[in-house]
Amino acid sequence: MSKKLIIDDTEIEVEDGITLLQACEQAGAEIPRFCYHERLSIAGNCRMCLVEVKGAPKPIASCAQTVNELRPNPDGSPNVILTKSALVKKAREGVMEFLLINHPLDCPICDQGGECDLQDQAMAYGVGGSRYVENKRAVEEKYLGPLIRTFMTRCIHCTRCVRFMTEVAGVDELGLIGRGEDAEITTYLEHGMLSELSANVNDLCPVGALTHRPWSNTARPWELRKTETIDVMDAVGSNIRVDSRGPEVMRILPRNNDSVNEEWISDKTRHVWDGLKTQRLDQPYVRRGGKLRPATWEEALGVVTQKLAQTEASRIGVIAGDLCGAEEMFALKSLMDRMGVANVDCRAAHEAFDPSLPRSSYLFNTTIEGIDDADAILLVGTNPRLEAPILNARIRKRYLKGGCEIALVGAQVPLTYRYEHLGTGPAALSELADGKHAFAEILSKAKAPMVIVGAGAYRRFDGEAVMALAARIARAAGKDKAADWRVFNVLHTAAARVAGLDLGFVPGKGGLDTAGMLEFAKHDGLEVLYLLGADEFDMPPPDDVFVIYQGSHGDAGAHRADVILPGSAYTEKSATYANTEGRVQLGLKAVFAPGEAKEDWAILRALSAQLGHTLPFDNLTELRAAMYKQAPQLQRIDDVTPATEDPCSALIAREGKVSDTPFAEVISDFYLTNPIARASRVMAQLSALKAAAATDARVTPFGTDEASVQYQMSPEA
Amino acid sequence: MSILSEIFSWWGGNTWGTRFTIWKIASQVGEDEFGNRYYLQRSGVGPLGKPRRFVVYKDLADASKVPAEWHGWLHYTVDDLPDENYKPRAWQKPHKMNMTGTGKAYRPKGSILRPQKRERATGDYKAWKPE
Ligand code: SF4
Ligand code: FES
Repeated sequence: MSKKLIIDDTEIEVEDGITLLQACEQAGAEIPRFCYHERLSIAGNCRMCLVEVKGAPKPIASCAQTVNELRPNPDGSPNVILTKSALVKKAREGVMEFLLINHPLDCPICDQGGECDLQDQAMAYGVGGSRYVENKRAVEEKYLGPLIRTFMTRCIHCTRCVRFMTEVAGVDELGLIGRGEDAEITTYLEHGMLSELSANVNDLCPVGALTHRPWSNTARPWELRKTETIDVMDAVGSNIRVDSRGPEVMRILPRNNDSVNEEWISDKTRHVWDGLKTQRLDQPYVRRGGKLRPATWEEALGVVTQKLAQTEASRIGVIAGDLCGAEEMFALKSLMDRMGVANVDCRAAHEAFDPSLPRSSYLFNTTIEGIDDADAILLVGTNPRLEAPILNARIRKRYLKGGCEIALVGAQVPLTYRYEHLGTGPAALSELADGKHAFAEILSKAKAPMVIVGAGAYRRFDGEAVMALAARIARAAGKDKAADWRVFNVLHTAAARVAGLDLGFVPGKGGLDTAGMLEFAKHDGLEVLYLLGADEFDMPPPDDVFVIYQGSHGDAGAHRADVILPGSAYTEKSATYANTEGRVQLGLKAVFAPGEAKEDWAILRALSAQLGHTLPFDNLTELRAAMYKQAPQLQRIDDVTPATEDPCSALIAREGKVSDTPFAEVISDFYLTNPIARASRVMAQLSALKAAAATDARVTPFGTDEASVQYQMSPEA
Repeated sequence: MSILSEIFSWWGGNTWGTRFTIWKIASQVGEDEFGNRYYLQRSGVGPLGKPRRFVVYKDLADASKVPAEWHGWLHYTVDDLPDENYKPRAWQKPHKMNMTGTGKAYRPKGSILRPQKRERATGDYKAWKPE
């Protein structure tokens, strides 16, 4: 059904159930607002969105009233809504004046200046002066942790921050106490907020009451160059905007993408920014006499060339890390193919993926947006809250709508929704697969079930067998479901993984995988190990093997390396990433790499020429053309190639014996999962805070209070 | 100053020609604390419709040598000459010419001529150092 309205002389037909504010927007009228936010519940407490409805005695808060709640006109004609009348103008001016009574006039020293809703709307809808001569109220500063700087006198009590923390982040840490002039936003107990999404409240705050503490007072929004790019901290591929000034990244903010991150990003994505300026590899190094010494590019490439040329192909190993773009992986793979090296791998040790199976066997096939439609979710060996906080927020969003059963097999971790814990290891999974467990029935009865397999399940010795079990569950659950509904999902933890698998960056014929290479190195078999930004494993001991490290940060790999080739971080190169859904996204270069560091594909291109196996491309365009030939799906930027083949039967064919070991928690410290994060001071601070909170009885670190889990919107809402 | 340069080098200071011309058409009205002398045209007016005003610098000719009190008069902003009653404001610093281009020019910290550590600037990063 639809409803007819007349908004400022334009007649418009709108859907049922939408708010007046949305209706006005559809009619092209701009309504100012502070408390209303598309992705949060409606509060209706700022009154900035007042409109006049003909026949109503008073102006109406348009964000809090639906079109169906309007009183029908006696003669049945459509309701008339005015957004530009004298009454509305006067109402807005009145609201604005009240808001500004207690708001300090400190715009020149306020970090929000230039991107402040209150500033803009005071310009557009306010009156020129103030009639208020009394003292303004003062509010004590609050401590909300290392990410949020507060200036509580600036707060206009829109409660967006409170609603975000409760609804999206799922932690009941922030609230509004007191009434009227005494109203204050507080954490009640004055402890830092510990949620992996907390910094989003700084974006939401329409004024400068909550601002970013780590980069406070360093830049003005209008002097920054904005680059829209992609995040690599997890496999979600959040859309971000990197703001830079000159050669320096000043801040990282989220970009809206409804099918990926909506408009949130995790604290790690945002505040890893200072890691981009520390521990940088800015010149080549070569180990001489047991010590790494600075070298020129010619020297370093010369040493690498000599070593690679002298070594038998079967004794060379290549591992690509978690943050690599598709371009450099493609360049490295092509070079190794030309040299006949088969020991190449982009997977962590014991990851049971195989690109020769259908592509859907290693993708999040339901898609992140698809979570909104799911009605039964089985999590296997995963803690989405730490592995992909944004995806976890999506699941919570679905959970809040009601009517979605969630269960977990694996370590019992605090998630932001209620779930049924079915067991800790493969045993529970076998039961489910055999249909012996009650939840198997829930899955098969559900209209849109999902099985999400996490790193705890697929990254282990018997990963193939575990994945086969999960596939069996998925196949049983997927019977008689809508033809295009995909049940089986893999949740990756590394931004580089899907593109790597798409490019076939796995051992060739007779080649060794990551675990095999490291083992081979221990037995003096491997002579040269080429690490492309790979740090996440125990480095082989010195003397056994000659390690070449190409990367951006001095971490495990660089410490162990015999030659260091300085590459660029994700903000310093244009690269393609495929997220866990297989959505291909293009990251752009925001700033140049520091010092002598070069873009990674260019380093490999230069190396290939020295080795006499010159790669057939001289620029990124040519490289991409060659890459698209090999992996056409990488061409579809911003798109998911829908999975046509069902992965289940292929996965089930790999069935085997499973051990009893419970699924491990793969992320021990959310804030320190990659070299950039480990170089970041802010991340170290957060990690310490979280560790300290674990022993503090007052807070539940990353925990969920029963109350916030129980918080549910009514199913109809 | 050698005789030759006093005749020819107008860029180093006033030449004999300048002094002669000014002596011919103008008479001195005052002198500031630095020894720069100021002259007013005796008869007739200049392009601004007022008698022309001149400064003859002591030594090196540099426009920034004119102190504040004479600057207003010299540029036709005020007509009154700064007399003995002139008192600088409490917040006024003693006048100093622009030192750019001289040995006393300002050099920021970290300049090659002032080898101190420079302050943190945009784009600085901490490089990794082995061990
Ligand atoms: S702190 Fe900001 S977001 Fe929170 S209630 Fe105040 S103005 Fe709104
Ligand atoms: S936006 Fe409607 S009351 Fe705040």
